[in-house]
Amino acid sequence: MIGWFVPKDFSFYNMANIFPKWSNTVPLKLVVALTLIGAAVVAGITYYATPKYLRVGYEPVQPVAFDHSLHVGQLGMDCRYCHTYVDRSEHSNVPSSGTCMSCHSVIKANSDKLKPIRDSYASGEPVPWVRIHDTPDYVYFNHAAQVNRGVSCVHCHGQINEMEEVYHAEPLSMAFCLECHRNPEHFIRPVDKVTDLTWKPESKEAQLEMGEQFVHDWKITPPESCSGCHR
Amino acid sequence: MKRIFKHPKPTDNDVVGPNYWRSPDELAGDPRFDTWLHQEFPSGAAVAEEGDRRTFLKLMGASFGLAGLGLSGCRMPKKYILPYSKQPENMIPGVSTYYASSQPGAKEHIPLVVETHQARPTKIEGNPSYAGFGGGTNGYAQASVLDLYDPDRARKSASKQAGTLSRGAALDEFIAAHKAYVPKQGKGLAILAEASSSPTRARLVAELKKKLPQTIWAEYEPVDSSNPEAALAALAGKRLRPLYHLDRAKRILSLDADFVATEPGHLKYARDFAKGRKILNSSEAGKMNRLYAVESNFTLTGGMADHRLRAATSHMPAFAALMAAELLSMTGGSQELIAVLKKQGTGLKVDQKWLTECARDLYKNRGEAVVFAGAHLPLEVHALAYAMNQALDAEGKTVTYVQLPDVDSASITTLAEAIEAGQIDQLFVLGGNPVYNAPADLDWAALQSKAGKVVRWGYHEDETAVDADVFVAATHYLESWGDGRTMDGVYVPVQPMILPLFDGISELEAVAHLAGVAFEDAQGYDLVRATFNAIAGTADQLAFDRWLTEGVLPESEFKVAVTAIAPANVVKFAAGQAMAAQVLSKDRLELRIVPSYHTYDGRYNNNGWLMEAPDPLNKLSWDNAVCISPQLAEELGLLANPIKMDRDGNLRMNANQFDTGREQAKIVELQVGDTVVKGPAHIQPGLADYTVVLSLGFGRTVTGRIGTDSRRPEARPHGFDVYPFVTAASPSLALNAQIKVTDEVYEMANTQEHWSMEGRAIIREANVEDYEKHPKFVDKMGMESHSPPIYGKHQDKSDQFKVTEIPRGGSAYETPEFTGEQQWGMSIDLNTCTGCNACVIACQSENNIPIVGKDQVLRGREMHWIRLDRYYSDGLNPQDNKEERMQIPHDPQVSFMGVACMHCELAPCESVCPVNATVHDQDGLNVMAYNRCVGTRYCANNCPYKVRRFNFFDYNKRDQNELYKGPLGEKNDVTTTQMQKNPDVTVRMRGVMEKCTYCVQRIQEAKIDQRTKAKDSANVNVKDGTIKTACQQVCPVDAIVFGDVADAATEVSRMKTSDRDYSVLGYLNIRPRTTYLAKLRNPNMAMPGAQQMPLSRVEYENRYGHASHGGDHGDAHASPSSAKAHH
Repeated sequence: MIGWFVPKDFSFYNMANIFPKWSNTVPLKLVVALTLIGAAVVAGITYYATPKYLRVGYEPVQPVAFDHSLHVGQLGMDCRYCHTYVDRSEHSNVPSSGTCMSCHSVIKANSDKLKPIRDSYASGEPVPWVRIHDTPDYVYFNHAAQVNRGVSCVHCHGQINEMEEVYHAEPLSMAFCLECHRNPEHFIRPVDKVTDLTWKPESKEAQLEMGEQFVHDWKITPPESCSGCHR
Repeated sequence: MKRIFKHPKPTDNDVVGPNYWRSPDELAGDPRFDTWLHQEFPSGAAVAEEGDRRTFLKLMGASFGLAGLGLSGCRMPKKYILPYSKQPENMIPGVSTYYASSQPGAKEHIPLVVETHQARPTKIEGNPSYAGFGGGTNGYAQASVLDLYDPDRARKSASKQAGTLSRGAALDEFIAAHKAYVPKQGKGLAILAEASSSPTRARLVAELKKKLPQTIWAEYEPVDSSNPEAALAALAGKRLRPLYHLDRAKRILSLDADFVATEPGHLKYARDFAKGRKILNSSEAGKMNRLYAVESNFTLTGGMADHRLRAATSHMPAFAALMAAELLSMTGGSQELIAVLKKQGTGLKVDQKWLTECARDLYKNRGEAVVFAGAHLPLEVHALAYAMNQALDAEGKTVTYVQLPDVDSASITTLAEAIEAGQIDQLFVLGGNPVYNAPADLDWAALQSKAGKVVRWGYHEDETAVDADVFVAATHYLESWGDGRTMDGVYVPVQPMILPLFDGISELEAVAHLAGVAFEDAQGYDLVRATFNAIAGTADQLAFDRWLTEGVLPESEFKVAVTAIAPANVVKFAAGQAMAAQVLSKDRLELRIVPSYHTYDGRYNNNGWLMEAPDPLNKLSWDNAVCISPQLAEELGLLANPIKMDRDGNLRMNANQFDTGREQAKIVELQVGDTVVKGPAHIQPGLADYTVVLSLGFGRTVTGRIGTDSRRPEARPHGFDVYPFVTAASPSLALNAQIKVTDEVYEMANTQEHWSMEGRAIIREANVEDYEKHPKFVDKMGMESHSPPIYGKHQDKSDQFKVTEIPRGGSAYETPEFTGEQQWGMSIDLNTCTGCNACVIACQSENNIPIVGKDQVLRGREMHWIRLDRYYSDGLNPQDNKEERMQIPHDPQVSFMGVACMHCELAPCESVCPVNATVHDQDGLNVMAYNRCVGTRYCANNCPYKVRRFNFFDYNKRDQNELYKGPLGEKNDVTTTQMQKNPDVTVRMRGVMEKCTYCVQRIQEAKIDQRTKAKDSANVNVKDGTIKTACQQVCPVDAIVFGDVADAATEVSRMKTSDRDYSVLGYLNIRPRTTYLAKLRNPNMAMPGAQQMPLSRVEYENRYGHASHGGDHGDAHASPSSAKAHH
């Protein structure tokens, strides 16, 4: 049936070997190589393309080198002095220049480092602080819901009170959120200790015991379904 | 492997300017915005396509190359936080602020509470402080926030000579005019304004007249509603306004009045009327009111009526005369008057029994009965309505007459005469749009050119602005100070929420400068403050602040007056006019001209929400139509081809011709005298036979992008203009019209193709008497009356048990567990829903729902999360008789049903989603995770209610005619429109499914608020009534109730205990959380044509057999064969 295009003197014995012998193992090698490459890509993406790798450690240079370890750690200021409305709003307010000036019009009033603040206070232009913690637009995170119910700043923002320059301490990925939302008893603390970033439970067991008590008494039911954060 | 990123310090070249603006001045300060503002054309319109594409490709190539080399695209974008320099007091980022205000209108202001996000108004809600509306608003008010951000609104003032004017120069036009006319005492100056209830404006007009006594101040409203007051003024010699108290009325007769939807004050009337229809259980059924409606158009009021009589609008005077004669003879009124009335009524063909029985019923309930005449009807009808109400002992009970302040304004006709006589050399046109909407017999366009210098103050650069010498841009009411009164006179503020986005001037400022108020006193705030001080009798700042906070001034309503009109006056009035009804026929039609549900009188022509929301009755979006009765359609040979069914062949015939979901309307020519108007004909069951109904507000020649139909190569307006038929003497009715059918066909976007329920038990109805005998009639209808109980042995358990335990019942699958302590659900009362559409637009406003344009609606891709289903029933049995199947109902009953996602507990959409994008949350909501959705649309396919909507295109991002270009299409002008978006709701992109979320953002806000308050206590449950969904909030009749169904004490749980509570398609065992209360009708059995059962019920019984034999068993026979056995 296909004979019409085969030359009359055709014979398999007349042909030279098209493929050398080593080519017999090529398919196997290819499969192994592709599997390895695939595994490496998957492993790579799993590790590198996550907030844990991409976000944690992000420490941009800010227009004013505000030192949290000085203000909070040494001077003992409360978070809410500057981050007003954190207990009333979904946003934690970044302080206006006016807030800084309420002290710095007296203390270090002529410091070069504070020049952008003074300029902003005089001109009305905002200070362009570089955003570090950034949830995506489709996530409706609410600060007030956390800090009023025993979730401390430290859980998401790390030991801010020890940071000279603020960096991204925790991944803030969905898995990170769910870790706590699924097991709040491991993290929850007395409401008056929320802004006390140095507070530590006595032991793991003590935390668990206290946490379970709070979860029961306060009816802590962190949302685990989509509508909790996505609308 | 963790790395600490050390990015370089920001250089001066980095753009650190505001990416987001927080106040309009900031926006105005942005140089890019300025350039954009000054561009003559929107970007791209003036650029040659070809070059554009080349540059694009070049740039793309280059950037791909660079991306490959440097991986520069992988760098995380740097974002900034820009806090206030000095934090304003009470401005909490992330927390919305609410201001009391009101929407101005000709006769009444609608009290509002406006939600703002960082000084950006996003959502309009009704002000519950005004008890009359109870927080209800209408679609127009809801949509007015979109007008604020209309990219086509006028941005600059301009004059023909000097070009663009600054705000100061525009103000100068008014100041200079005042100065120039002081020596002439105002002679030669004329002003045409819209009607207004603002005391400040009235005060300024009085001042203007004092300083310039010869000035003509004229007011014009195309939808005239001044007749009730005019009639009483003629009778009583003082300005009185009738106010109806329908909550106290047991019997209501409406004469061509659409008091639930379009009459002034309709929000209060609808609300009060619904109070007499709120029935929880059959034991209360006896208190239900009864509505008789006589009307030519099929209005929403007619839809609510227990007895509806079709009669031409031109026959209303004669009808009113006969009805008044009946009533007066019962009360022993003056024989002379009765004789006169009877004479006036001769020539009207009407069922005498209808008149007698209706009158008898009204008379039997005197003191609790009322006659309501439509505001468009002639004065004599209002005089007769007054006489009838007196006869019914209604004054002081179901109707009161309040004393109005005097006004001194001329009519547009007077002004036209003055212009014609050459007496006017400067004309100010404040608002309105007379070139488009003035009575056709005045020929305003020509008149305006004779009026010397014309200064036009307006919101859009419209028809009137084109030929004006000076155009002055107006501010939106959300940007300006003002005040006004509601129908009953309650004094309400208009507060600015935001600084004017563009260089506008408010109306009060314009009038103040015309009146020569000193410049420093002519700021909006000062003007309103002065009026407030006078009205409230105090200059106390606290009192003023309280007024602004509450939004109403207590005890400021108009005083009730005693009318005491001698019956002889009424006789004289009634006798003096020609009231005889002329015979109508196919060649002598009457044209009833009504405001449009979309554009009102044309003012909302560029408002996409209103244009796209379907008209509740004819379901048309984006167009108006020549609505004709089935009788006329038959005579014209316009009936649709029958629907061909393959097997059963038992579908009712469509009224209109459809082709794959698109209405194919024949263009007809209407002619009155020499005026000819062409428009597509739509057959509307329920119209008076020879009344043609036309709605205003379409066919605008100079309008924005929304009002222009961009689908065709030559842009043309949506719809057709009806104003050629509007005359000064008769603005809402034209007689002696002829109609001619042409061969042209026009495609219309109709969102509901089919009109019949085909006998199914979707909307369940009963008559009051029947309901009293069979309280559980809803359980005996529908397939679930035959199927085994879906909850199995738990069928009789409480709702609370069912929503928390989710018993498996008859389900083949394991049921989910909902762990939340509060479980959300909804109840919709079909007995009070009027079908007004307000919920549709409120939902659109709250949930960032895009409009899609006429082309996409034609393809069935509208995005509304709530749709309002409308069904006609005529009680005929399509099963038996082919002849009946071919009939279009001439006089049907109509029923409405708002349908949104029902949040089924066992949701069929969830089981088919391959990516778990739609799942349940712990509180029983069926939620959509947009990020997971890959757009298979299986869920929409599997939804029995068809409430899921798919984003076929980037509707939010692109203009309607750029959709098909995909990512290459030009993005739309979002600079202003995106400011309206609710920041608490995701703006969805192409390829994503969406649907009603029960306003999950409001639920979450309330839950978080409660937890914020609870702190370390267990007080976490949200109190009942805290969460109002957008549709519930807007509803003027409170038909929608939302809340926690796991708590037996909540309002929604109480509603669900009603014996009329039923699930639509309940037999599917999907357990919807939204359930309905069945509709009731309250006919008077003595009336001719009174039905033992509502017509939809008759159709159901015809198809499925008797539902209410009584007894325990819902004895409905499902097979058609047994249904036939009954007949």
